[in-house]
Amino acid sequence: MFRFYVALWASKLMLAFYTLIKQPKTDLPGLLASKICPDFLSYIHKPALTITVTGTNGKTTTSTLINDFLKSAGLTTSFNEWGANMQAGYSVNLLRGVNLFNKPKVDCSILEADELTLDENMPKIKPDYILVTNICKDSLRRNGHPENIYNHIEHTLRILGDKTTAVLNANDPISSELGKGNRRIYFGMADARTNPFVNLGKDIAICPRCGGKITYDYRHYRHIGKFRCENCDFKTPHPDYMAEFTDLNDRTMTISGHEYPLISDTIFNAFNVLAAVAILRELGYRENEISSFLSTQKVTDIRETCVEYNGIEYYTFAAKSQNVSAASTVFEYMAKEPSDKDVVLLMDEVQDKNHPTETLSWLYETDYEFLNDPKIKRVIVGGHMYLNHKLRLLLAGVPEDRIVAVEDEADIPLYVDQYGITKVYVLYETDCVTKALNMRDSIVSYVKEGGRK
Amino acid sequence: MKIIEFLYPEYTNIYGESYNLEYLKRCNKEIQVLETHVGDTPKFIYGQADMVYMGCMTEDKQEKTIELLMPYRNYIINAIQSGIIFVVTGNALEIFGTKIIGDEVMSDDKIDIRGLSIFDYQSVRHMKQSRHNSQYIGNFDGLIMLGHRSQYSFCYGDFDNYFIKIYKGIGMNPDTDREGVHVKNFFGTYSLGPYFIMNPPFTKYILRLLGLKDDLIFEKEIMEAYQYRLEELRRTI
Repeated sequence: MFRFYVALWASKLMLAFYTLIKQPKTDLPGLLASKICPDFLSYIHKPALTITVTGTNGKTTTSTLINDFLKSAGLTTSFNEWGANMQAGYSVNLLRGVNLFNKPKVDCSILEADELTLDENMPKIKPDYILVTNICKDSLRRNGHPENIYNHIEHTLRILGDKTTAVLNANDPISSELGKGNRRIYFGMADARTNPFVNLGKDIAICPRCGGKITYDYRHYRHIGKFRCENCDFKTPHPDYMAEFTDLNDRTMTISGHEYPLISDTIFNAFNVLAAVAILRELGYRENEISSFLSTQKVTDIRETCVEYNGIEYYTFAAKSQNVSAASTVFEYMAKEPSDKDVVLLMDEVQDKNHPTETLSWLYETDYEFLNDPKIKRVIVGGHMYLNHKLRLLLAGVPEDRIVAVEDEADIPLYVDQYGITKVYVLYETDCVTKALNMRDSIVSYVKEGGRK
Repeated sequence: MKIIEFLYPEYTNIYGESYNLEYLKRCNKEIQVLETHVGDTPKFIYGQADMVYMGCMTEDKQEKTIELLMPYRNYIINAIQSGIIFVVTGNALEIFGTKIIGDEVMSDDKIDIRGLSIFDYQSVRHMKQSRHNSQYIGNFDGLIMLGHRSQYSFCYGDFDNYFIKIYKGIGMNPDTDREGVHVKNFFGTYSLGPYFIMNPPFTKYILRLLGLKDDLIFEKEIMEAYQYRLEELRRTI
C-alpha cells in the first residue's frame, strides 16, 4: 500500500500542477501513477456508482450524455472526457474522485473505455455497469476484426461476473450475445424507416451460434436491426427499453410511451441517446427529467460544427478514417442529406506518417459508392493518400469530373465550389479536430477573399 | 471464360479481400467469379476452376476452414501440382501449414490446431500481445511487390519455396526475409486486403497466367498510386 500512496500523492501533485497551468485534460498523472504502482487501479477507491461505456462507435457521445445528465441531476462525477480511454485515463478519472487519503469525493465515475484493453483494466475497477454501444468493423491495424473485440469484452464480463450489469444493444447481432453470465439490460429500436443502403463489407457474416444465414425484418444501419438466424433460435433479444417510434426529421424518439428529443438527425446518434436513456432509467431517473435534459443537448463540437457565409453552410463532421463502419455510415448520411454539397475528405490518420500504406485495406471495405450521388457535386481529397482515394472513387463509379485529388491539402480550398451548392462538409478523422477546423476556416477565408475566379 | 473460385467468402473476406476479385473481374469480361460457401463442395476438385482465392479470416474461422478443407487435402495437393492458380492472402496462408499453436483471448489455455500440412511450416499466435503491423517491399520474378501485414501470428519454418524476397520489412516472421509460399502456381502471402490493387504489376502477371490480356481497369491511376506508394515506402520503412 505504501507504493500506492506514493503514487496517489505524486499523481495528485502532478494533476494539481497541470490544473494550475490550465491543462487539466491530461493523462500524464495517470501514467505516473501506474509507473509507481502498477496495480494503482485496483487500490484506488471507486465511488458508489461506476459506469463504463465501451463499444466501437458512440462511446464519447453516450458517455458525455450520461455524465452531463448526472451532473445536472446534482451528482458529482469524474469522467475521462478528453478521450484518454485506457489505463492512464481511467487512473486520472478515478484520481479526481478521491481525496489525498483515498476517500471517495464524487458520487459517480463515468469511464469511456477502449474495447481492446477492457479485460486488462475493468477487472481492477469492477464497474457496476458496462454499456456496450455496438461492435462494428474498426481499424484493423489496432483492433483486428469484430470477433476479436467481442472476445475481449466477453472476457471482461466473464471475469466480473454477476456483480456487473451489461447494458446491451438488442439490435446488434454481435454485442447482443455478450454477458451470458451477467445481468443483462437491453435497449432496442423499432423500425425507424431509415432505408439503409447495402454495405460492401459485413460486420457479421453468419450466425455466431450455428453459422447459419442471418436475415433481417428491418435494418437501421449496417448490421444493426431486427435480426434472426434462419437455422437456429438466435434473434434480436426482447428490449427492456424499446424505442417504439423514432422520427429523425423531427428529432424525437418515443421510448416506452414517453417522447424524448434527439440531439441530431442521424440514426447512430439516435442509438446513443437510446443507450443513455436506458441506463438513466435503469438508475431510477424519471422520464421527464431525462427528456428535459436532452432538450438542452446537441452533438459535441468535437464531432460537428457549422459556420455560414454567403448562403453556404460550412460543416466539420467527424467520420473516423480506418473505422470502416463509421466512415461508411457518414458517407451514407452524405448521400441521404438532401442538400447539394461538396464533400472534403481529410481522412488520413496522424499515425499513418509511420504506416503509409495501412489505409489501403479500409478503403476497399468502406462504401465510397455512397459518394456517387448527384447531390454531391464534388469530392475533394488531399494528403499523401490522394491517389489511392482517387482510384477508389473512380472504382466506386464517381465521375472523374466530380473528383479533385491534390497532394497538398493546403490546395483544397481552391477547388471548393462557391455556387450551385448550399453546404460544404469537411469529413475528418476524429484525432484531427483542429486540422478540420483550420481547413473549414481556410475554405471560408478563401471564399471571403474572392475565391476561385 | 475463366472461372475464379472464391472459397468460403463468409469466412475469408474480413479485410476487403473480395475487392481483389471485383477488380480482376472488372479488368476482363472473360473472368467469372463463383463463390463456394460453407457446406458447398469446392469446384476446383472437379477441375471447374482456373484460379482459387482465399483471404483473411478470424482465428476461430481458421480452425473451421481447416475442418472444411481437410477432406479435400489430396485434391488441393493435386490441384497445385497440376498448375491451378491459387492466390492466398493474410492468415489464410497459415491453414496450409502443419499446425497453429499459441494462446487465445478468452482463457489461459494453449491452442494446438492441426493444419492441412500441405507446406512445412507452423504458425504461432500471440493473441495477448499487441498486433503486429508492418509493410514490405520485395521482389518476385523481377516484379517489385508491396505488402501490408496486420496480424497476431507469425509462421516459422525454412520457407525454401518462398514467394517474395523481402528487402524492406520482414518476411514470414521477424527473423526471415522470405515471405509467403510459391509452388507451381500457388501464391501465398501474409499481406492482406486488396493485394491486387496494391500490386498492379502482379495483377498483370496473374491475368497473363490466366491466359488473358493484361490490361487493367484505371491502369494509369492504379500504376500512379503504386509508384507513389513504392517511393513512400522506400522512404519510410
